[in-house]
Amino acid sequence: MRGAAIRIEHLSKTYPDGTQALRDITFSVRPGEFVVIIGLSGSGKSTLMRCINRLIEPSAGKILLDDVEITTLSPERLRQMRRQIGMIFQQFNLVKRASVLTNVLSGRLGYVSPSWALTNYFPRDLREQALGHLRTVGIPEKAHTRADQLSGGQQQRVGIARALMQDPKLILADEPVASLDPATSHSVLRYVEDLNRRAGITVMCSLHFLSLARRYGTRLIALKGGQMVYDGVPTDIDQRRFKEIYGEEAIEVEIA
Amino acid sequence: MSPNAATQIPRAPELPRPGAGALRVLVWIVVLGIIYAYGWQVTQINLGELARKAYLVTPLLSDLVRPDLLERRPRQEIAEAGIGLDGAPAPPPETTRGPGRLTISTTSAKIGDPLRVTGEGFTPSRPLELIWRDQAGSTTTLHRTTTDATGRFTAALTVPNVIGTSNHVIARVTLEGTVLRPSNALNLTFFRMIETVFLALMGTTMAVVCAVPLSFLGAKNLMSRSPISLWVYYVVRTIFNIARSIEPLIMATVFAVWVGIGPFAGVLALGVHSIASLGKLYSEQIESIDPGPIEAITATGATMLQIVRYAVVPQIVPPFIAFTIYRWDINVRMSTVIGFVGGGGLGFLLLQYINLFQWKQAATAVWAITFVVAVMDYLSAVVREKVV
Repeated sequence: MRGAAIRIEHLSKTYPDGTQALRDITFSVRPGEFVVIIGLSGSGKSTLMRCINRLIEPSAGKILLDDVEITTLSPERLRQMRRQIGMIFQQFNLVKRASVLTNVLSGRLGYVSPSWALTNYFPRDLREQALGHLRTVGIPEKAHTRADQLSGGQQQRVGIARALMQDPKLILADEPVASLDPATSHSVLRYVEDLNRRAGITVMCSLHFLSLARRYGTRLIALKGGQMVYDGVPTDIDQRRFKEIYGEEAIEVEIA
Repeated sequence: MSPNAATQIPRAPELPRPGAGALRVLVWIVVLGIIYAYGWQVTQINLGELARKAYLVTPLLSDLVRPDLLERRPRQEIAEAGIGLDGAPAPPPETTRGPGRLTISTTSAKIGDPLRVTGEGFTPSRPLELIWRDQAGSTTTLHRTTTDATGRFTAALTVPNVIGTSNHVIARVTLEGTVLRPSNALNLTFFRMIETVFLALMGTTMAVVCAVPLSFLGAKNLMSRSPISLWVYYVVRTIFNIARSIEPLIMATVFAVWVGIGPFAGVLALGVHSIASLGKLYSEQIESIDPGPIEAITATGATMLQIVRYAVVPQIVPPFIAFTIYRWDINVRMSTVIGFVGGGGLGFLLLQYINLFQWKQAATAVWAITFVVAVMDYLSAVVREKVV
């Protein structure tokens, strides 16, 4: 499998209340990169991610996924495009009352026939595949547990398995470890890193800790007030650049 | 998304001066004292009366703790024979108990005609009553005698002055000993209770059918997208609030006039009231659903219908079921009161017993309500635990 290439040109987003979340963002991502996005809360990280799969409609600019312009896609083509983009969330966003297996299978909804899926019926091979993904993230024994009975780290792994169910070319991870403890953070990020290294899936991941960004990212993009203030290699971030991104008062906090 | 303000340290609130606090507490105590003194006076609370007049309520309460459940009835043998008047055919016998048989000398007669009634096969040497039952079902004892040593008897009767042509003669032999049977009150209560439970079920079902679609129109998060839908939201919410504030008792009175006294009026009253209550609860549940799963399922490329099925339905169906069962439980309780104003069910029977000062029979109904409400409460708790 080959990861997706992304090209973003002059992307801007202004919310109806006048907040300018993104201002003229332009960058390209090569297939297989692990792009870490950092920035303060409210700097536009989530908006940028959600513009890429159009959970949020951009106000201006272009987004090209493997040279397909996605800001003008019809609803049907948009659905087909979304199936190739897995998404992982800070709050996991699992359906809490459903079983883990159903949550994982729901990642496949974009592919299955809509009427079949309404009965919660999935063919056997899909169920096998879902179990396989649960094995990949190390919790096959939890398949029939209700999602809300799992710990935070386990829920996020279900989130990853759900994204894998899409056979994604790109994974968008919106602060995937911000609700997790340091040890669990590493284990979750290692699964994402594994997908990136082995399967070549392009990853865009927003993180709060520079130490995590340096450890996992092959590239780092920093946002400040909706503008791109840094684009380079994570290890090149020094004290001066750090203060530029996070403000003069900021002190870097390490995560083990 | 607003810029981060976490770097600003909030200032500690100023502490009030100690003296001012004490004065404020004192003022509050005085104000509360005045409020409660007035309240005591205006509601005419009189604790002395409560103790002094206890004797008035003692017989009533002692009847309430001794509900009319079972009764001892003498054992009886019954035989019937039909007789037609003015040329009408004789009706077939309706109830028989025991081996006895009854024969009338003729099957067709006129008022005032003499009749010879003979019986055989009864228990020997026991008192016997001959009873006339007319077409309307009212009974008169015409003759008392005793069965002979072989279990037979003969009696001469005169056809009484009755209206209607289809009549029965009943021979009732009283035997030794008694049998313990459910009392009449218990029988009536049982059937009325079933009526009450179903009355509540139908009312609740009617409410669910209307409230589910309405609740989506009354959910602000769904309806705040355009001015028109927001307007619909306010209209639906206002209807909910008005309908909810009208007591079911008043509604039952109105519906009893509309469709007549009986359970149907009760179903309508409970139904309309429950639409509002359930609608409000449902809408609040829809308003409080977590948008996260919706976002996640949307991101997988699912269709609108799939999003509803996988992200919305699992979040609202279990609480909807729980609310509905809880409402049914409330409606069973309410339907007894609704019966007081003509809404049918057990309340109607209870009111009759109270009006006739039949406290023991009333107690049967009261305990039946308590029992069923307790059972419903337990069952709904079990179901809610299972689904939520």
